[in-house]
Amino acid sequence: MFGEQQRFVLLLIAPAALLLLLFQVVPIVIGANASFRDWALYNPKKTWIGFDHYAAVISDPAFLYVVLPNTFLFMVLSVAGALVAGLMLALLLNRPFRGQKLVQTILLVPLMVAPVVAAIMIRWIFNDQFGIVNVVLEAIGLEGQPWLVQRWSAFGIILLTDIWLWTPWFTLLLLAGLQSLPKEPFEAAAIDGTTTWRVFRFLTLPMLRPVIVVCVVIRAIDAFRTFDIVWTLTGGGPGRSTELFSLYAYVHAFLNLDLGRGSAAAIIGGLIILVIGVVLYRLVDRIAKA
Amino acid sequence: MQGLARWFVAATAALVAATGGAAAQVKELRVGYQPSPIQDASIAMFEAWGAKNGVKIVKVPNSYGVYVEKMTASLTSNSDQYDVIWHNDDWGQTWAHLLEPTDDVAANKFADKWSMAPVVFANAQGQNTVVPMGQTFSVFFYRSDLVKPEEVPKTLAELVTASKKLQADGKVKFGYVGGMSMNNSWFSWFWSMWGNNCDVLLPPYERDNAKLAAAGWKSSMTEPCMQQTVEYWWDAINTHKIVPRGMPAYDRNEANAVFMSGDAAFTVADSLWWGTFNDPAKSKIAGKVAATRFPLGPDRARPFAWDDIWGWAIPKSIAPERKKLAKEMLEAMMLDKEGQKKLFKATGAPPPNTEFWAEIAAEDSFMKLLKESVLDSPDKVRGAYYFPQWPAVHKAFNDTVTRAVTGKREDIAKVLAEGAPLVSKAAQ
Amino acid sequence: MPIVTRPDFLPGLPKWSRKTLFALALLGICFAFAFPVLWLILTSLRPESGVYYVHRGTEFTLSSFAEVLSDERIVGAFLNSALISTLATVFSLLVTVSSGYMLSRFTGPAPRIWFGTIYVFRCVPYISWVLPLYFVTQSWGIYDTYTGLLLPHIAVHICFFSWLMKGFFDGIDPSMEYAAMIDGCTRWGAFIRVAVPSALPAISALAVLCWLFTWNEFLFALILTGNRVPMITVVMAQFVTEMGLRWNLMAATAVMALVPAFLIALFGQKYVIRGLRI
Repeated sequence: MFGEQQRFVLLLIAPAALLLLLFQVVPIVIGANASFRDWALYNPKKTWIGFDHYAAVISDPAFLYVVLPNTFLFMVLSVAGALVAGLMLALLLNRPFRGQKLVQTILLVPLMVAPVVAAIMIRWIFNDQFGIVNVVLEAIGLEGQPWLVQRWSAFGIILLTDIWLWTPWFTLLLLAGLQSLPKEPFEAAAIDGTTTWRVFRFLTLPMLRPVIVVCVVIRAIDAFRTFDIVWTLTGGGPGRSTELFSLYAYVHAFLNLDLGRGSAAAIIGGLIILVIGVVLYRLVDRIAKA
Repeated sequence: MQGLARWFVAATAALVAATGGAAAQVKELRVGYQPSPIQDASIAMFEAWGAKNGVKIVKVPNSYGVYVEKMTASLTSNSDQYDVIWHNDDWGQTWAHLLEPTDDVAANKFADKWSMAPVVFANAQGQNTVVPMGQTFSVFFYRSDLVKPEEVPKTLAELVTASKKLQADGKVKFGYVGGMSMNNSWFSWFWSMWGNNCDVLLPPYERDNAKLAAAGWKSSMTEPCMQQTVEYWWDAINTHKIVPRGMPAYDRNEANAVFMSGDAAFTVADSLWWGTFNDPAKSKIAGKVAATRFPLGPDRARPFAWDDIWGWAIPKSIAPERKKLAKEMLEAMMLDKEGQKKLFKATGAPPPNTEFWAEIAAEDSFMKLLKESVLDSPDKVRGAYYFPQWPAVHKAFNDTVTRAVTGKREDIAKVLAEGAPLVSKAAQ
Repeated sequence: MPIVTRPDFLPGLPKWSRKTLFALALLGICFAFAFPVLWLILTSLRPESGVYYVHRGTEFTLSSFAEVLSDERIVGAFLNSALISTLATVFSLLVTVSSGYMLSRFTGPAPRIWFGTIYVFRCVPYISWVLPLYFVTQSWGIYDTYTGLLLPHIAVHICFFSWLMKGFFDGIDPSMEYAAMIDGCTRWGAFIRVAVPSALPAISALAVLCWLFTWNEFLFALILTGNRVPMITVVMAQFVTEMGLRWNLMAATAVMALVPAFLIALFGQKYVIRGLRI
C-alpha cells in the first residue's frame, strides 16, 4: 500500500502521533464536544445547545474589552521584554570574563524553581506590609506602594515575573546561536573598523534571525496562554483588571464548574493564537530579513 | 535507607494496584480529604474506630487548589475512588444529588440543627446528605493586651476611633487587618455587610433559593447599605488609614501574617486560627489574643453570629456494603467524646456533637465564649449561598466591590450600579 | 587574532572604570535573577513566626525542614518526581527525535500535515484539556498510576520538542546520511547511526530542559495524581489548605526540590549551550 519511504516516514512519527492522539487530541475533542453542550461539571446534562457558549463568550464585554486587550498587551510586552533581556545577556555571556560560568549558572536560576512557588514568593516580596520591596523603599525614605491593588503596578509585577521566568530560555537559545555563528564576517568587519553597533545591527542580528523567529513565535504562543503565575500573583485582580484569557477560561471551567463555557472560551483563545502565530511567523521573519 | 525501602514497597503496591488489584476488599475505607488540623483530628477518630473494627482507613489527601473540581468530576463520572469525602456548606447544594442520604446515621440527631438545615445540605427529596465534622465560622479577634474587654469596639464607627487611638499611641501600625480579595471576602466584606443589614443578594440573610428567585436574584449592590459598606472601607484605607493600603488584594494568609506579627490590633479570621494565633512558635502575639462578637454598622442594633459546618459525605455511586461501613464509621465518630475533645483542643473548632459542648465549655474559656456569642446566638447568618452558581456570584460581587474600593470615592455608587446586573446575571 | 565578536564594553570610558561598571552591572543582573530564590531560601530558614516578615529578626532554624522530612511521603515524592522526570525525558526524546527528523528530512503531504497538526495542538491552551484528560485517565483505569502520569507528561512535550528537533536536524548536513545509504546502510541505519549521533548535543540540551520542566510542572501533576504516586509538586500544593497556606513547609520543600534542579542545571548547562543551535 505504501512505498518503502512512506512507511519509514510514517513509522518515524507513529509513536509521537499515537501519544498525541491519546493524550491531547482525545481530551481536546472531549473539551470541544463539551463546548457545544450544556455540560456543568456537577450536572452534566450534555444536551446539545449549538454555539450558545461561543455566543455568550464573544458577547461578554469583559472578554472583549478587558480580557483580550490585557492578553495581547501581556503577550507583546512579555515576549519583547524577554527577547531584549535575553539578547543582552547572551551578548554579555558570549565574551570571556572571570566568573562567566558563575554568572551563566545564576541566570539559569528561574528555570530551577517551580513557577507557582516563585510566583507566591514574588507576591509576598511585593506585599505592602511585609514585602521586602516596600521595606527597602521605606528605609531609603521613599513611599511604599500597595503594588497589587493598582492595575498597572499589578500588571507590571506579572510582566516582570514572566520575563524573569523566561529570559533564561531566550538567553540559552540565543547564546547557543551566537556561538555557532561563523567567525569570518566578524573578522572582516574588524579589519574594516566597523563600529560595534553596526556589527550587531548588520551582522549579528541578521545571522541570529532563524533563532529569534522560533523563539518569538513559540514564546508568543505560550505567553498568550499564561496561567499559573497570574492566578497566583493577582487572581486577575484588582477587580478583573489584570485578567488574561486563560484565567477567563479557568474561572468558568474550574471555579463556576461550567465545563461547556470554559471549553468554548479556551477554544476561542486557541483559534486566536493559531492565527496570531502564523501572522507573527511571517512578520518576524520579514522584519528580521529587512 | 528505610525511606528508600518504603518507597519501593509503595511503588510496587501502586503498580500492583494499577494492574487491577483494587478489587473488592471491603474491610477498607478510602477517605478523600484535605490535610488540615480539623480534618486530621476527625480522621484520627476514624482510625481509632478502624483499629477497633479491623477496617483499614486509606487516607487520600487532595490539594485545596483543585479539590472541588476534581471531586465533582469524580462524583459525576461515578468513578469508584472514595468512600468518604470532605464536604463543606459552600458546595452543599452542588453535590446534594450526587451524595448518599445520611438520614439513617442515627447520631446525626446530636448535630447542630441550624448548620444542618435542609436549605444547605438536603437533596431534592429532602434527605440530608452530610455528617458534620465540626463548626467552622469566623469571629472577631482582638489584642487583649492592648484593648480591655469593655473597650472592644461594638460598632464599625468605634472600630475606627479605637484604631486611631491605638495608632496615635504608637501601640500598633494598623487598627484592623483582614482578607478582602476573591474567596477571602468573608474576612472584611461579608461580616461588615451582615452587621449592617446588608447581604450579597436580596432580601438580606435569605438563603431559600425559591425566595431568592422570587425576588429576581436581585443584588444589593445599589442599596444604600452596600454603598455605606464600600465607603466605610474606602475611608478606612484612605482617610483614616486604619488598615493597610494593600488590603483589597489581601488573602487570608497575608492578613493573618500581619495580625500575628503584632502590627494590627483587630482582625476577623476563622475560629480555627485561635490555636495558631496563640502558639508562640507561629505567632508573635501568643497569649495576647481574645475574641468577641462582630462590630455592627449603623443599620443594625442586634448582634449576629456566623455559623456553618464542615462535614463528611458518602458518594452515591459506591457499593452498598461500603456505604454501610462508612455510615458505621461516621456514627462512631459522632459519638467519640474523647476524639471530639481532642479535635477542639487541636483546632478551636466546636466539635460536631452538640451534647459535648456544655462539658467542653465548662473546661475551656474559648469554647465558653464561642458557645455564648455564636453557637447559642438566636441571630445567625450563613456564610455562603446554596446554589451551584454561588462561586460565580461571589466572584462578580468581589470584583465589583474591589473595583469600587480601589477607585475614586465619588465613583463608588457608579461602579456598584455597573456591577449590580453582573451579580444578578451570575446567579441565574 | 583580534577577538572582534566580543567588542569592548562602553568603549568611550577609561579601562578601570569600564571594568568597575562592568562588574557592577554583572552583580546587579545576577542579584535580580537570583533574588526571589535567595529570598525563598532565607524564608525556609526562618522560624514559622517569621516566614512572612523575613526581614524582622535574625533567628534561623532548620525546623521547617525537619517537619517536612518527618512526613513519610516526602522521600517517596522526591523519588517519584525524579523517576517520572527521568522517564518522561527519555521517552519524550525518543519519540520526538524521530518525529523532528521526519519533519526535517522529508517533503510532501505527510510532513506538512504532521507539522500543521503539531502547530495547531501547540496552540490549544492547557486549561481546555486538563480536566478532560482527568476523565480520560480515569476511564482508561490509569488515573493515579505511573502510566497515567507519565504518558501525558510525554505527550505534552511532543509539539514543542518535535519543532525544536526539526530545527536541529535542519542545521545538520544530510549528505553524510546519503553517503551512508549509498554504502548500503538502510534508512533506519542512516537515521540511527548517522543522524542521531550528530544531533546528540541538541538531544542532551533538550534532555536537561525537559527534566527541569517536568520536575517543576504543577498543573498536570495536580490534576493527574491522587495519593499512590505523589510528586513533589503535589506535596507542595497540599500545603495550601482552605485554612491558609503552610508557607514555611512549602518554602522548605521548594528549597529541597531546588537542589536536584540546581545540580542538573549546573552540570547540564554546558550541553544546553552547545546543543541548542537551531
